Amino acid sequence: MKVLRTEWLKIKSYPAFWGIMIMTALSYPGINYIFWNIYKDLTQRKNQAGQIAKLLLGNPFAYPETYHTTAYFSSFFVFIPAIVVIMLVTNEYTYKTHRQNIIDGWSRDQFLMSKFFDVLLITLMVTVLYLSIAIVIGIIASPNSTVSMWSNSGYIGLFALQTFSHLSIAFLVGFVVRRSFIALGIFVFYYIIVENMIVGYSKYKLDDIGRFMPLEIADRMIPVPVFLGKMDEKAYKASLANIPQQILLTFVVIVVVWSICYFTNKKRDL
Amino acid sequence: MEVLELNNISKSYGRIQALRDLSFSVPEGSVFGVLGPNGSGKTTLLSIILDVLKADKGNFRWFGQPGSPDMRKHIGSLLETPNFYHYLSGINNLRVTQSISERGNAQDIEEVLIKVNLAERKKSRFSSYSLGMKQRLAIGAALMGNPRVLVLDEPTNGLDPVGIAEIRELIKELNKKGFTIIMASHLLDEVEKICTHVAILKKGELVTQGTVDEVLVDEDIIEISAADHADLERIMKTYPGTTMVKKEGRFYYLHFPKGAASTEKINAYCFEQGITLNHLLHKKKRLEARFFELTGN
Repeated sequence: MKVLRTEWLKIKSYPAFWGIMIMTALSYPGINYIFWNIYKDLTQRKNQAGQIAKLLLGNPFAYPETYHTTAYFSSFFVFIPAIVVIMLVTNEYTYKTHRQNIIDGWSRDQFLMSKFFDVLLITLMVTVLYLSIAIVIGIIASPNSTVSMWSNSGYIGLFALQTFSHLSIAFLVGFVVRRSFIALGIFVFYYIIVENMIVGYSKYKLDDIGRFMPLEIADRMIPVPVFLGKMDEKAYKASLANIPQQILLTFVVIVVVWSICYFTNKKRDL
Repeated sequence: MEVLELNNISKSYGRIQALRDLSFSVPEGSVFGVLGPNGSGKTTLLSIILDVLKADKGNFRWFGQPGSPDMRKHIGSLLETPNFYHYLSGINNLRVTQSISERGNAQDIEEVLIKVNLAERKKSRFSSYSLGMKQRLAIGAALMGNPRVLVLDEPTNGLDPVGIAEIRELIKELNKKGFTIIMASHLLDEVEKICTHVAILKKGELVTQGTVDEVLVDEDIIEISAADHADLERIMKTYPGTTMVKKEGRFYYLHFPKGAASTEKINAYCFEQGITLNHLLHKKKRLEARFFELTGN
């Protein structure tokens, strides 16, 4: 608890933290709003095409699909809170406060634990944000249906797990590299370009081996929303069936990431 | 009771040997100076006793115990540069220190800020502080909660003359109250003024250690010259009480233990031996010279 309290002291007066969290709070609803509008635009046309679209797409933003759809879109922007995670760890090295924390009486394990709490805290904040978006859009988009508000809410857990996994990987980069801009560069380059290329390429050429890439593992816990899945029904069903396996793999990624951090932290000079 | 005991500490960075078989102990209630030129291993040594670096060989004990987080909580430390969160204010930085070390309370934070003259700027960001203010904040953090042991690395670094005098007074005052202070410095004058004990390092090796009075003892030097150099050298070799006789330029230098030299006796002695001195000067050896001699610079 003391460790958590100390981290809060470090974070609460950190303007960059709040700045980026505000960016997150704007971009997550933003992307969902954009896709929601596209959907409305398509389905509200009075012509035949509009009616067919409505029939085909269903209502991905209404209950219970809202949890799934908003989780999928929101996860695009996880690199924004990842910036905060990287800043919070590289700051310690830039200011040499990682040494000071140890000198002042933390053990090395406590230092790492404090950073683990940071990642957990940000995951929690991002998940609460996602949940509010899912609920609000769900309420607005749902016709007076009888569907329970909480069915499909398992996606809340999956979203939290996915976010935590991605942020843990961002943390690892920051923790190992220790220099903020280099770490940010590496993570964003990998997140946006490298892994997408590998996953995309391997899908057709390499027996989809890209599914074992660290970010992709967690991404596949949340398959494309139903209406997109309708393009290839068979593949969509397969991806749904794969979710339990992906959850397991995600836990493996998280354990591996934090084990690397743990042993690095034990060994290296401060 | 020894506050700190070092046994054969060695540390190297790749091929560079930073510390070699270092052993000494710090008695309770002392102001222990670790003196050495830049690059002699002072900061490496302090980093090891604060568990920031791991020694390759040897061990150390605080109050007879191996180093531990709990032990560190009771030691106020300033290592190398002031390390604080740049975006936090002075007071918020001390709150972080307080939260980690569990030394002191909210009241102590305020008192410490007054003690190091930062009360007025306590709400300004650390990044806006001058070098001296940063240093004072670091000293404040070390003092918080009155730890019985302070480890200070170049505590007067970056301070103006008034600041330096204040910090030196503060250290003396804390020592009077029974605090043990371990302090690294490259300033001989500083060590001489405030330390009771000293260990001198040179390229990672212990040159000498002991009380300041023993180690940095002054010498008397008599500078003489006469028309006949050869004769002068011959008779002075047998003069009683000298620790060293050497020639430099036109002069001979006779070294004596502090207070043991008498120009009158030397003058009389030379005259009795049939030599008339044309130059006779009593010089006090400066401590710097002693320091250079010890560290071989």
